[in-house]
Amino acid sequence: MNVVLSRRDKEKKSRTRLFIEAGVIVALMILTMVVLPLVLEDFRLKLVGRFLAMAIVALGIDLIWGYTGLLSLGHGIFFALGGYAFAMYLNLQLPEGEMPEFFMLYGVEKLPIFWEPFRSLPFTLIAMVVIPGIIAGILGYLVFRNRIKGVYFSIITQAALLVFFNFFNGQQKLINGTNGLKTDSSFFFGQRVGEPSTQLIFYEITIVCVLLVYLLCRWLTSGRFGRLLIAIRDDETRVRFTGYDPTWFKVVVFAISGAIAGISGALYTVQSGIITPNFMEVSFSIEMVIAVAVGGRGTLSGAILGTILVNAVRTYLSESFPEIWLFFQGALFLIVVTVLPDGIVGWVKDVLLVQIRRLTGRDHPLTYPAIAEDPVIQSEKEQLTKDEV
Amino acid sequence: MTENILEIKDLTVSFDGFKALNNLTFSMRPGELRVIIGPNGAGKTTFLDVITGKVKPTIGKVVFKGKTISGLSEHTVSRMGIGRKFQTPRVYLNLTVRENLDLACNQNKNVFSTLFSKAKSTEKNQTVSLLETIGLTEKADIQASWLAHGEKQRLEIGMLVAQSPDLLLVDEPVAGLTDEETENVGNLLLALAESHSLIVIEHDMEFVRQIARQVTVLHQGSVLCEGSMNEVQNDPRVIEVYLGEAPTVTPEQMNLIRLAASMAWADGSFAPEQKAVILTRLSEQFTNDSQHQEQLKEELANYLGSNVPLDQLTAGLTTPEEKEMALRLSYEVIRSNGVNELENIVYQQLLDLLALPAETVQAIAAEIDAQYSQSHQD
Repeated sequence: MNVVLSRRDKEKKSRTRLFIEAGVIVALMILTMVVLPLVLEDFRLKLVGRFLAMAIVALGIDLIWGYTGLLSLGHGIFFALGGYAFAMYLNLQLPEGEMPEFFMLYGVEKLPIFWEPFRSLPFTLIAMVVIPGIIAGILGYLVFRNRIKGVYFSIITQAALLVFFNFFNGQQKLINGTNGLKTDSSFFFGQRVGEPSTQLIFYEITIVCVLLVYLLCRWLTSGRFGRLLIAIRDDETRVRFTGYDPTWFKVVVFAISGAIAGISGALYTVQSGIITPNFMEVSFSIEMVIAVAVGGRGTLSGAILGTILVNAVRTYLSESFPEIWLFFQGALFLIVVTVLPDGIVGWVKDVLLVQIRRLTGRDHPLTYPAIAEDPVIQSEKEQLTKDEV
Repeated sequence: MTENILEIKDLTVSFDGFKALNNLTFSMRPGELRVIIGPNGAGKTTFLDVITGKVKPTIGKVVFKGKTISGLSEHTVSRMGIGRKFQTPRVYLNLTVRENLDLACNQNKNVFSTLFSKAKSTEKNQTVSLLETIGLTEKADIQASWLAHGEKQRLEIGMLVAQSPDLLLVDEPVAGLTDEETENVGNLLLALAESHSLIVIEHDMEFVRQIARQVTVLHQGSVLCEGSMNEVQNDPRVIEVYLGEAPTVTPEQMNLIRLAASMAWADGSFAPEQKAVILTRLSEQFTNDSQHQEQLKEELANYLGSNVPLDQLTAGLTTPEEKEMALRLSYEVIRSNGVNELENIVYQQLLDLLALPAETVQAIAAEIDAQYSQSHQD
């Protein structure tokens, strides 16, 4: 009797929660898609768009770090690969027979063969997601198959990042090396990419992508698969001895995470106007991770919130006091690690909401079931309710 | 005659030349409950590692249900029906109890079916009934990190059962538990043994005695001996391994020592007089050399201490002479600090078990009584 009731209660509760979540999402969508473009000037709106693009990669990092417990310091690779894919497509939007200008500088007369497929938009859109995903999958397979984890995994991803950075930096004739690829002056469906009207379209697309990626991550983390990721984080050996092969689970998650970073990189690039190998600098990848830590790893909303917050503060500080941003960033990381290990969202969940409930008198203290079952306590409870009557 | 569930022949595992397992041969029938004991470094944990695929054998192979499993990875071995319980409870602390069990129940454990398929109703029912078996129904929806040590231990055993394995490997299940919890875990294991084959590694001899039917002793990576608990405990090689020196007494004499010790323990206390009587009488019995007698006394003192059921001990006495000697010694032991109620009961049991002629019993009793009354008069 009791059990049945509580189960119905639970279903009711989770349904209410789902409604609240859907409501919040719709409200945020209206705010970002409709209200912000009306209120903000073009330059600010572009900034918000870039923050939101970064929020997408943060979701990917949260998947591999927050849920599966693998700290990747190499997401810049996948981010930049997505960015380069889209920039190559935009650079090829030229009249028949022409080549991107920079090739002339190095005396390259024929378009490198790997550029050819990027003339097609469908191919580019697929490549933007699939190439980073496959690279992440291969890297992940090599690492996870050998049961490398913890800090060694982080170091290897960082080393891989440096390899990619140096490669892109050195290849003038293939990809314009350290100068990178500009996108602002290219055309997208006949529109100049740098125009505010085109940028607004990319801004709206970014928001839709944030929503889609959020829903994807939500689906991945809510079922058995998501619980298995947490299980891998908690005790991988137990997972193995239960009959699961953690290697493939980790490869799949890392590949998905890389693919998500690719989408993010493409949207970021087009709203920045340029992609250079600097997107693969070590510090940039670490900043992505810090943003997730600030927001709260292991919570999807935390990843988004943290990224937007950190980037907004960074913009404000580097506009007003350019010299203190780095100190602030260091301090922020220290504070989060020492005081808020679960990030802002974790703090709100564990501390703030509990306090508010207590103050508003809607406090349902969670008791350990053994205590509630105890016959002495039950009889006392009955006694108390009788007295009240 | 069914085939053995587990068959290991001439298995060697060496780590950089150090042989953790050395020419080990082991076999087990389906449904058996086997306890493995052995001093530290005997290779007990490596033995489990090699069965579960954590360690690959250098030479030899492991055959489970007729299939070679050595060289397969841990998850493949686990899917074939071998579950392993670790010494410290290993559960997923950030998941609820129900979610822990659900992950173990999942029938199809590859990536994509875990991602796309929902829990079947049979799996859900299995989870619910398992929650009942391990007594955690009320705590099904709280995080495993909130559970007490013993509850985590039960949850992990529940997760093992959820995998529906044929063979369960359990590594020191009662280390760090209170006496009450130890007994609970023992009963749980005995219940499991009714439908599974079990290998238990344990140090705690009292616990081994509670659950063991068949014991295997490992030493320096090989099987030293196998047999019932009593046979194993009286085996001079086992004693040597545990105490560091070979006993100079024969297994029959060892049996006598244990019988005497059990009589002394009958009233729940082991009086110093009783100890003195046992040591003096036996050392006189076993040798005539007085210097040797002194050495024997010290050695024998090491073997006293465990309380073994009488019927197991008397089964080892075959000739009437041995029986008489056992009786004489036992009576003297309980007589040495005055016979009390409890000791009398155990003594009567002993008489029943020995089934000696009544005249002999009376003669012996009279002789010893006479000795004591004489010494009191002095």
